[in-house]
Amino acid sequence: MVDGPETHSAKRDDESKEKGKFIVERDYIEPTRIVEPSSLTAEGVDISGRWGTIVLPRTINEFDTSIYERVKRLPGGSHIANCWQCGNCSAICPVAHEHPEFNPRYLIHIVKMGYTSEIERLKDSVYLCSGCGLCSSVCPRGVDPQHVMIALSLAFHAKGVL
Amino acid sequence: MSSEDSVLIVGGGPAGLRAAVDLAEMGFNVVLVERRAELGGAPIRWKYHTLAPDMRPTEEVMSPLIDACKSNQRIKVYTSSVASSFSGSPGEFSVEVKGADGSSSTHRVGAIIVATGFEHFDARVDPRYAYGRAPDVIGINELEGMLRSGKIVRHDGSTPRRIGFVFCVGSRDRSTNPWCCTVCCGVSIKQAIELRRLLPDSQIYMIYMDIRTWGLWEKLYWDSMEKYGINYIRGRVGEVYYTGEKLLVKGEDTLVRGPIEVLFDMLVLAVGMEPGEGTRQAARVFGLNLNEYGFLKPRQPNIHFDSGVGGVFLAGACVAPMSIEEALEEGSAAAMQAAKVLIRSSKQRVPI
Ligand SMILES: Cc1cc2nc3c(=O)[nH]c(=O)nc-3n(C[C@H](O)[C@H](O)[C@H](O)COP(=O)(O)OP(=O)(O)OC[C@H]3O[C@@H](n4cnc5c(N)ncnc54)[C@H](O)[C@@H]3O)c2cc1C
Ligand code: SF4
Ligand code: SF4
Ligand code: SF4
Repeated sequence: MVDGPETHSAKRDDESKEKGKFIVERDYIEPTRIVEPSSLTAEGVDISGRWGTIVLPRTINEFDTSIYERVKRLPGGSHIANCWQCGNCSAICPVAHEHPEFNPRYLIHIVKMGYTSEIERLKDSVYLCSGCGLCSSVCPRGVDPQHVMIALSLAFHAKGVL
Repeated sequence: MSSEDSVLIVGGGPAGLRAAVDLAEMGFNVVLVERRAELGGAPIRWKYHTLAPDMRPTEEVMSPLIDACKSNQRIKVYTSSVASSFSGSPGEFSVEVKGADGSSSTHRVGAIIVATGFEHFDARVDPRYAYGRAPDVIGINELEGMLRSGKIVRHDGSTPRRIGFVFCVGSRDRSTNPWCCTVCCGVSIKQAIELRRLLPDSQIYMIYMDIRTWGLWEKLYWDSMEKYGINYIRGRVGEVYYTGEKLLVKGEDTLVRGPIEVLFDMLVLAVGMEPGEGTRQAARVFGLNLNEYGFLKPRQPNIHFDSGVGGVFLAGACVAPMSIEEALEEGSAAAMQAAKVLIRSSKQRVPI
């Protein structure tokens, strides 16, 4: 059997199930949000391992507009503000139909809203764009998503995200 | 004044004023009864700064009508008054008008127009928005007054930087009012544009379920994004907390399927329109039907002016939520129907 993504994540799950084992209703929390420091002391007390466990919030709690501001100033991104999330671009995008990570509408949204953790998670997907330009031909608001994808990659670089 | 050339109009908002002016200009006499001390209806009461969709100053639309009602010899205005009883038949009604000061007068009229308008939804009814408990949570009606003064300030006098609009407050919700108020999307967007003009450093987020800028009002929506960089979050607000400094708004951005908890300096609630006590009072006096929501119920839904009571016509936001442009047209339409009754009944009496 090929070692595909499913077997990978199964393995990862086994390891991470150890983390935060003692938390009541532990199943509600994705393993990636549970942090157990391997060595940590606070005021001279060793709080490594389960004693120092923290659960990262899954809530978006800030709109960080810095990448958005940069994208707007780049030639390809100058019309990004017009996007109203209709999804015409993703509906016609040949890559989005094949690749679960790539969605031009969604990339535009998380950049406009400044959702940094989502940007961090999906930043590499911007390179999956084939540059075919179909999206720009159907966008009703003249956003030109094809060139927005280029502007996004430039902005991610400049911000050190990529 | 004989009954066959007079119309009694209840409500001095856009619809009632338009009807009064049209009838007077056609040569009929009008008795205009307004419950409040001033004419003008909601736009004057709440000091609307400009009107959607074109941002025309409210005075440009309302003042000519109000002035005409005050100066036209054919229009007799009774403010701080209500119609208290009614009898007779089309062409010869008798209506008693009572003033808040105890005064009373009886009028013989041929037709009646009811244009009692709406009230704003009281956002205290839905506790999740902290309206009335937290500072800096205001309604779109209150923001109009601030825009007029040109001073957008928080409770402590500071200038808000991040401002959120919450759409559909008290609308489209079974636990409050299930209907759509039809104008609060456009009005909120108009206000957001005005805020960006006044406060160019502000960040504005519109938290919405659907944007309903029908017809040509859609341009407001486009301009808000394309020219003013206003941001839209599709989703609802679950809770608002005052942290002692800012407003913590909890909600969901449904486009990322995730919860958000973001601090805002000011929150503006797009409170909807609902039928008020004035409409219920008029319904009792004139024997009018109310629909399941408490609006006046026309005999059939696509002909608003026909109340089902002969000689009594309906106009404006007492029938359904609507814009000023629609309320004005309904006023004209009701005036036309009233004129028909007057002309018919005068012909019966004085055969030509
Ligand atoms: C915050 C807000 C902003 C808005 N801004 C816009 C805008 O920019 N553009 C736009 O097109 N529309 C706007 N609207 C909608 C607009 O306010 C209405 O379309 C309009 O006021 C309806 O006019 P009307 O005459 O039917 O009712 P009203 O304006 O409500 O007038 C009714 C009048 O009747 C009186 N009355 C009530 N009961 C009685 C009674 N029993 N006896 C005697 N008198 C009575 C009331 O005191 C009132 O003066 C806005 C609405 C809201 C909620
Ligand atoms: S240009 Fe890129 S984003 Fe647009 S349709 Fe083609 S692959 Fe998709
Ligand atoms: S088609 Fe245009 S407006 Fe629609 S989501 Fe894509 S970029 Fe945005
Ligand atoms: S007009 Fe807009 S804000 Fe008002 S109830 Fe309808 S959808 Fe909601």
